[in-house]
Amino acid sequence: MHLNRLTIYGFGQFHDRTFNLRPGLSVFLGPNEAGKSTLTQFISAILFGFPTKKHPTLRYEPLDGSRFGGEIAFTHGGQDYLVTRVDGPRGGKVTLHNTTSDLKLPAESLPHLLAPMDAILFQQVYAINEPRLAAVFTTSKQELVAHLRHVGAVGSDFWLDQASQLDEAANARYKPQGRNPELNRDLQEYRDLRLKLERANAAYPKYWRLLDQQRQLNQHQASLRTQLEADRQQVAIGEQRLAKWPIYQQWATLATAADPVQAGFAPEDAATLERLVNQQRVTQESLIHDQQELAAQRQAAQLTPLFQRYLETADRLAPTLAAIPETLVAKHTAEQAHAQQADLQDRAGSIEQQYAHQGQMPRAFSLATLQEVNQLRQDLTTANQKRRRLQQNLNDLNEQFRQQQPTRQQQRNPLADKQIGWLAAGLVVLIGSLFLPSAFLKLGGALVGVAVGYYGAFIVSGGTPASQQTDELEADIRDLQAQLREGTSTTTELTNRLDTIGESHGMADIPLEEWATAQGVIAEWERLTRQLESVTTDLQTAQQKVKTFQTTVTALLPELVDQPLQDQVDQLTDLQRQQQRLATRDSDLSALSERVTRDHTRLKQATTAVTTFLQTRNVADAQAFYQQYRSVQERDQRQQRRADLAHQLGKTDLAALQGVTDEATLQAAFERARQRLAATQAQLDSGNERLATLAGQIDQLTTSGTQAVLRQKLADLETRMIATTQRWLVDRLASQWIAAALAAASSDRLPQIVAKASEFYGKLTENRYTEIELTETTLRVRRHDGEWRTVSQLSRGTAEQLDFAVKLAFAIVMTQQVQMPVVIDDGFVNFDVKRRRQAYRLLDEISRETQVILMTADTAVTENVAEQQIIQLVD
Amino acid sequence: MKFIHAADLHLDSPFRGLQDLPASLLTQIRESTFTAATKVFDRALAEQVDFVLLAGDLFDRAEQSVAAQAYLIEQFDRLAQAKIPVILGFGNHDYLADQHLSIAYPDNVTVLGPQVTTTTLTLQDGTTVAISGFSYDQRWVDRDPLGDFPVHAATDWHLGMLHGAVATGSGDHYAPFTVAELLAKRYDYWALGHIHQRQRLNENPPVLYAGNTQGRDRTETGDRGAYLVTNQDHRLVPEFFSTAALVWTNPTLALTTPNPTLAEIGDCLTTWLSREPAMTPELVVPTLSLNGALSAAEQAQITSGDWLALFQRTQRRVMQAVKRVVVALRWDSPVGTTAAPQLDTRYWSVGADQVFTPENLQEQFGKLAQEPALADWFADPKTAVTLREEATKLLAALAGEEDDHAS
Repeated sequence: MHLNRLTIYGFGQFHDRTFNLRPGLSVFLGPNEAGKSTLTQFISAILFGFPTKKHPTLRYEPLDGSRFGGEIAFTHGGQDYLVTRVDGPRGGKVTLHNTTSDLKLPAESLPHLLAPMDAILFQQVYAINEPRLAAVFTTSKQELVAHLRHVGAVGSDFWLDQASQLDEAANARYKPQGRNPELNRDLQEYRDLRLKLERANAAYPKYWRLLDQQRQLNQHQASLRTQLEADRQQVAIGEQRLAKWPIYQQWATLATAADPVQAGFAPEDAATLERLVNQQRVTQESLIHDQQELAAQRQAAQLTPLFQRYLETADRLAPTLAAIPETLVAKHTAEQAHAQQADLQDRAGSIEQQYAHQGQMPRAFSLATLQEVNQLRQDLTTANQKRRRLQQNLNDLNEQFRQQQPTRQQQRNPLADKQIGWLAAGLVVLIGSLFLPSAFLKLGGALVGVAVGYYGAFIVSGGTPASQQTDELEADIRDLQAQLREGTSTTTELTNRLDTIGESHGMADIPLEEWATAQGVIAEWERLTRQLESVTTDLQTAQQKVKTFQTTVTALLPELVDQPLQDQVDQLTDLQRQQQRLATRDSDLSALSERVTRDHTRLKQATTAVTTFLQTRNVADAQAFYQQYRSVQERDQRQQRRADLAHQLGKTDLAALQGVTDEATLQAAFERARQRLAATQAQLDSGNERLATLAGQIDQLTTSGTQAVLRQKLADLETRMIATTQRWLVDRLASQWIAAALAAASSDRLPQIVAKASEFYGKLTENRYTEIELTETTLRVRRHDGEWRTVSQLSRGTAEQLDFAVKLAFAIVMTQQVQMPVVIDDGFVNFDVKRRRQAYRLLDEISRETQVILMTADTAVTENVAEQQIIQLVD
Repeated sequence: MKFIHAADLHLDSPFRGLQDLPASLLTQIRESTFTAATKVFDRALAEQVDFVLLAGDLFDRAEQSVAAQAYLIEQFDRLAQAKIPVILGFGNHDYLADQHLSIAYPDNVTVLGPQVTTTTLTLQDGTTVAISGFSYDQRWVDRDPLGDFPVHAATDWHLGMLHGAVATGSGDHYAPFTVAELLAKRYDYWALGHIHQRQRLNENPPVLYAGNTQGRDRTETGDRGAYLVTNQDHRLVPEFFSTAALVWTNPTLALTTPNPTLAEIGDCLTTWLSREPAMTPELVVPTLSLNGALSAAEQAQITSGDWLALFQRTQRRVMQAVKRVVVALRWDSPVGTTAAPQLDTRYWSVGADQVFTPENLQEQFGKLAQEPALADWFADPKTAVTLREEATKLLAALAGEEDDHAS
């Protein structure tokens, strides 16, 4: 293959440039920056594609904005082609023309057309530039072999194709770093499935756990069921007992009425009483009957009610009737006493009227007092007589005196003064006596006062002396007056004593002179009073007697109430008489009466019998007996009932119930038992529920089949993966095998390349080095003197010349299979002038077999190359 | 005396090596272990056996299957109601570490302890039977347990129950024993478990594996079941009875045409399927013996499973009718020399030597080694062989295409 023309639309610094190339050597001459490297890049880009936009510096997009791309006309296999590449996706838009046949070819055919050449091979082998030559230091056989292999199986593009197809197929199956290839996906799925299975396997311990729980729960349930049965029984018992409680209650009530066992209230006793009472009743009835008959007969005999009453009460009236005469006497006595009493009262009343002082009768003097009073009166009388006598004397004297002294009115008469004094004194006594307590004393005092006044006015004045005589007279008068005064005081004293006595005996109002009569009257009053008392007593006794009688009579015979005694007595007497009359007259009636009496007796006997009967049983009456009897009967019934109830309750329940205080306790116990039952039932239920859940869970675990499905899936997937892996490996190995076979074939060309390289190297180094040796790992050269040098021992230039020689040799040896121009971009920078010239010569020589495009800034090239072969990049 | 000897019920364990099956079949498959086990217990009840021996691996404890446990409890209950004792020893899959079990199982079940224990039963007719055995208490029992087994007891019968494998000399993890040791105990019967293929290690006295009750992958072909053992003239005579709900079959179908096509394969399969209907539903994994290589595209269709899926869809009625389902397809074809015109065979073998090295395989396998499911497969020595075979088949197919291409 050789390039004929490069047409640049726009690439790097070039635009709208066309370069015509010769089939042999073409030299682009230009200084630095003239675009030599750009041209190399252009060829690679148009043939193999623009680098991606990730590497903008390698794209050489036109700087001036002209259309990116260009075209290359080339000849390959005797046909002319024109390839055009402009900017576009995936390395640019390509058009390919076979200009010989003028056919437009599909863009995809370009790589096939150029195969096995591609961008990498071109860059590595056919585009030789200084930096790449410098890489010779790293060159090894492996690399070289890689190149060889790549270009490789000479003429075996089929095998290369197969190998690459196998690789593709292998890559489609598995890529170590991939995600999408089949095996990668399977592996991922496998891992996922494994995870899933592991998760599913968690069911295993869970299953055992559940099974364990189930077993334990089953045991628990069994025990609960036993418990439940027991609880149920308890509840049943509780219920039964609760139901029996009222019965027990009845039983208990019957038990608690502790009846003392009483004898004598047996049914036979009741019969006895019945008999007795009947007897009594019969007797009573016959009595009543007889009485009625009697009454009827009496009615027939026209007996007054009073008499009938009398008959009824005759026996009780008997003593009363006997007392009639006595009563009559008493009545008479009472009448007499009553009259006497009235008389006595009259008499006593007149006396009282006469002497009673303030309703109080004076009292009679005792004998000593009477004697004292009499003595005192005698003394008083004596004293008064004496005083009167004295007074007489005095008066006489006073007369004498007045005669002697007739002028007494002219002359001052002391005695007159004395008279006034006496009068005053008498007046004082008189008035003073008025204040005395007793009438006698007042009277006495008044008398004394009058007497004093009299004496003063008359007696003393009478004694008025006339002279000597007068004086004597006066003396006598004075003496008499003294005596009189003494008598007066004696009188006063006596009067006082008498007053005292009178006062003490209520006689103050009675004049002293009447005292004696008064004393007699008083004695009379006292006697009367005593008589009156005695009469009154008699009267009362009599009256009492009468009254008693009357009361008795009226009690028995009420008809006689409010009748005078005499009438009563008369009627009673009549009744007695009538009875006697009847008794004698009517024997039938009497017999009837007798029968009544007999009936009475019998009734009494019967009653006594009943009473005795009742008393022995300590009961008041028949009713009480029957009450007692009934209670005894009831008790018997109760005991019978109790026994029945006890039987009904049953021994066990009864014993149990006896241990229970009240229904609430029983109820509570029952409630507890029920709650326990409910709790057990609830436990059992929840256990059953749990069991069901467990069974469900276990069933679900057992039947889910997840594990089995996953395992089978895994097994299947494993099978598939192994199959895929096998195919992948087979593809890979087959590809490798092809490569190895090709490499083996290619390796045969290696000596050829090495020989050629040695030749070139010798020419380049003017035969300083004569031989190149390429082993598995090393590359070394032999100097003309036979010394071996490794690459690292060579100078940079020499080393580059070595690489250049190897590459050139490679290109030449491969030229049959790979017809690709060799593009050298300033590859000789480190060559000296002589060697550079040798290089040019070598290129010129090679260019006879293969197209060589040399880019250089070295103007010396013109010396070695024909002018028409040189294209000046800069005009 | 009459009893049942069963082992390896592997309840609720998934079937291996299946994919893209119809849902109805999946259900059947999922239930098959239970269905098979139920047949054992049904038989025990129907025969009114004196007891049931279960020689381990009733379930896979790693699976932690609730369904399996629930099922066992339920079935043991059934036997308990019929007063049929069950004596079981756990094996390497259901090793005794679960305290739940002894609690959960009804009283008629005797779980042998981790040490060899002898249980003596007195049957209804007065016959006495001693049964010696043990349960695994971990995944592996490396020692030979036979030393712990007692000699024949003074009972009418003495049975041994053992879950394990005949010693091979190395890597024996399953109670390794020798038949001679078993016979030395002079027991009347040895009920073995662990090996899924039933087999008789000795005729008289019978020493036999009951095999599993249900085959669970394509390698466990043929009928599966348990033994009903009866006393016949003072000899215990085992009689196999089938329990499998699904039977695996691996027929080899030969196609004689030089360049077989999928259509021909389809026809061949259909013909084979349409024989007389199966008694028990069959899971068929045919191996096609081809005279020539399939085209790469057709190979791809087969290896991707697409073709089988299509076949299953189109032949569903036929398969239902005969109770056979093709669940996988394998084929053998002669590996011809891959003669590439531009590449010497020399280069291919050089390439193969470089590629099919354990190191390269490991490197290619790379991170997938961290996936346990794949790592096990990869670790299988057969895998490397298969890989090379498959790659060869693939390249042969490609080479054929190249020939076509070239011509």
